[in-house]
Amino acid sequence: MKIVVAYKWAANPQDAEVGPDGTVDWSRAKGAVSEYDPVAFELARVLADTCAGEVVGLTVGAAAIDTPLARKAALSRGLDSLVMVADDALRGADGTRIAAVLAGAVRAIGDVDVVVAGESSVDVGDRQVAMTLAAQLGWAGLNAVRAVTADGGSLVVEREVAGGVETVVAGGPVVLAATADAALPRVPGMKEILGAAKKPTQVLDLAALDVPAPADTIAPVSTARPDTGNRQGVMLDAADLPAAAAQLTAALRQSGVL
Amino acid sequence: MNVSSQAWVVVADDATIGGLLGAARPLGTSLVALVAGRREVAEAAAAAGVDRVVWLGEPADGVPVEAYGPAVGRVVAEAAPRVVVGPATDSGRVLLGAVAAATGAVVLAGASELSLDGDKVVVERAVGGGIALRRDRVVAGTAVVAVAPGGTVAGAAPVAVEEVDPGPLLALRVTDRRVTPRVGVDLGSAKTVVGVGRGLKAREDLALIEDLAAAAGGELACSRPLAEGVDWVGKERYLGISGQTITPDLYVAVGISGQIQHMVGVREATTIVAVNSDPHAPIFRECDYGIVGDLYTVVPLLAEAFRAARS
Ligand SMILES: Cc1cc2nc3c(=O)[nH]c(=O)nc-3n(C[C@H](O)[C@H](O)[C@H](O)COP(=O)(O)OP(=O)(O)OC[C@H]3O[C@@H](n4cnc5c(N)ncnc54)[C@H](O)[C@@H]3O)c2cc1C
Repeated sequence: MKIVVAYKWAANPQDAEVGPDGTVDWSRAKGAVSEYDPVAFELARVLADTCAGEVVGLTVGAAAIDTPLARKAALSRGLDSLVMVADDALRGADGTRIAAVLAGAVRAIGDVDVVVAGESSVDVGDRQVAMTLAAQLGWAGLNAVRAVTADGGSLVVEREVAGGVETVVAGGPVVLAATADAALPRVPGMKEILGAAKKPTQVLDLAALDVPAPADTIAPVSTARPDTGNRQGVMLDAADLPAAAAQLTAALRQSGVL
Repeated sequence: MNVSSQAWVVVADDATIGGLLGAARPLGTSLVALVAGRREVAEAAAAAGVDRVVWLGEPADGVPVEAYGPAVGRVVAEAAPRVVVGPATDSGRVLLGAVAAATGAVVLAGASELSLDGDKVVVERAVGGGIALRRDRVVAGTAVVAVAPGGTVAGAAPVAVEEVDPGPLLALRVTDRRVTPRVGVDLGSAKTVVGVGRGLKAREDLALIEDLAAAAGGELACSRPLAEGVDWVGKERYLGISGQTITPDLYVAVGISGQIQHMVGVREATTIVAVNSDPHAPIFRECDYGIVGDLYTVVPLLAEAFRAARS
């Protein structure tokens, strides 16, 4: 079985600077394997180990996603090999285009049975790319996946639904987005980090992939800083905690919120 | 691609579509519901004040709504409406992904405001996990938007349900369903909420926070790591961009750092109180009252003071 882990090399918005006009400056934020993707690596590895499968990492983005550090960070998480599309034409690309490039890469890898992804990316957080990828491949897509096993030619998927858990059998290839706590990702040790250097990485040429040119469907109108409510920011004296508690209680009573 | 002036909603086998209809209705000259799922859902949509209901037929036993992705994509692409609004839910995102793939549109998620500028749809949404807001105008093709599905709607004179052939479905089959016992909690309408985060050292210590919530007459909630990862608190109680959004009079955040993804869910609180041992915790920049201190000392004092004041 060939399993692809679709992951993102992304920066945490906590490290981005937001200007007064709502423009976002990411230049000082550093990339990493996006927060909810290690769980996808783990699900893929566990699945591969139970069915003598192969795990291929896949990520697409601007040229800067391809660094020795970034390769190692992915390859030390249980992959057998890594495939990247790293092209500045993809800087700031929208989710549908990213999904289209991922789909092109999955086709180029060939004979893929399942793509596993995290729930959402740390920098965008729309929870949409994996399911758009499924549709672009013409495959089934399932969200909120907590476990997956192979059963002959089918995949048996456990997913969370309102009020419970369902078992879904997928008869064809499928894209799965894992819940954030589907598995406890192993932390790569020295052995995995050293081993990463020996694993193959293939960089695919964007132009060689069968991906339609981007359509400019959206034009920016404006940006803004979210309203954080102009909070009062009264810091109570921590040196006398009982007095602080009394003062707080009185203030809350007075404004009628307690 | 030329688009019609219609507004469509995509319904994913769930009749709670008040939010979808409310968002879509002002954006088109007529409102069409495309329903994947059971007939009863199509009939509920037909009585919810829409102009047309297009239904993809009764699913065979065990066929989940996700199997209808290609059908949804095809029907929407053929109709080429001005806007498609769908539910920001696990299965809704699968159907919206199908629409995106079929039309080339981007799914605009996290939309907070939709409007029309001439015949173009303008969408305001949070970006970067909530660090900024941006407005975009959809200048070509169909606008595809994900919003919270909202409540049930009924009472309108029903329109006819038009059944169309879905064509080939994807090979998915639900073989088992286990119900997990869940205590219903309505954080959304709670007047007071006490949230706890990773500042809590052990599961047993939750009793402290529960006591504070009781003393304040409020509900217990938490940051994501306490519900996912350590599983100390039910998933239905975590607050933030991927959890619940609350609008209480009072939110008390205990041992929560105040990362953006958490704050997005609590910003509508009238008053925010933060208790944290780190004076540099980001939550202190977004609170009305802050106490720097060890929660194990502060929380019992607060509980006592709250209790005395409210009795
Ligand atoms: C795509 C995405 C979506 C996310 N969605 C959500 C979401 O919806 N909701 C959410 O909450 N998070 C979400 N997160 C996670 C979020 O980024 C933070 O990791 C999380 O909110 C941190 O939780 P915390 O504040 O409890 O823990 P920490 O950040 O670890 O903070 C713990 C705090 O406790 C304080 N503390 C420690 N000991 C004590 C003590 N004895 N007394 C008092 N204070 C103490 C510390 O100073 C610290 O500030 C999301 C992340 C991503 C990437």
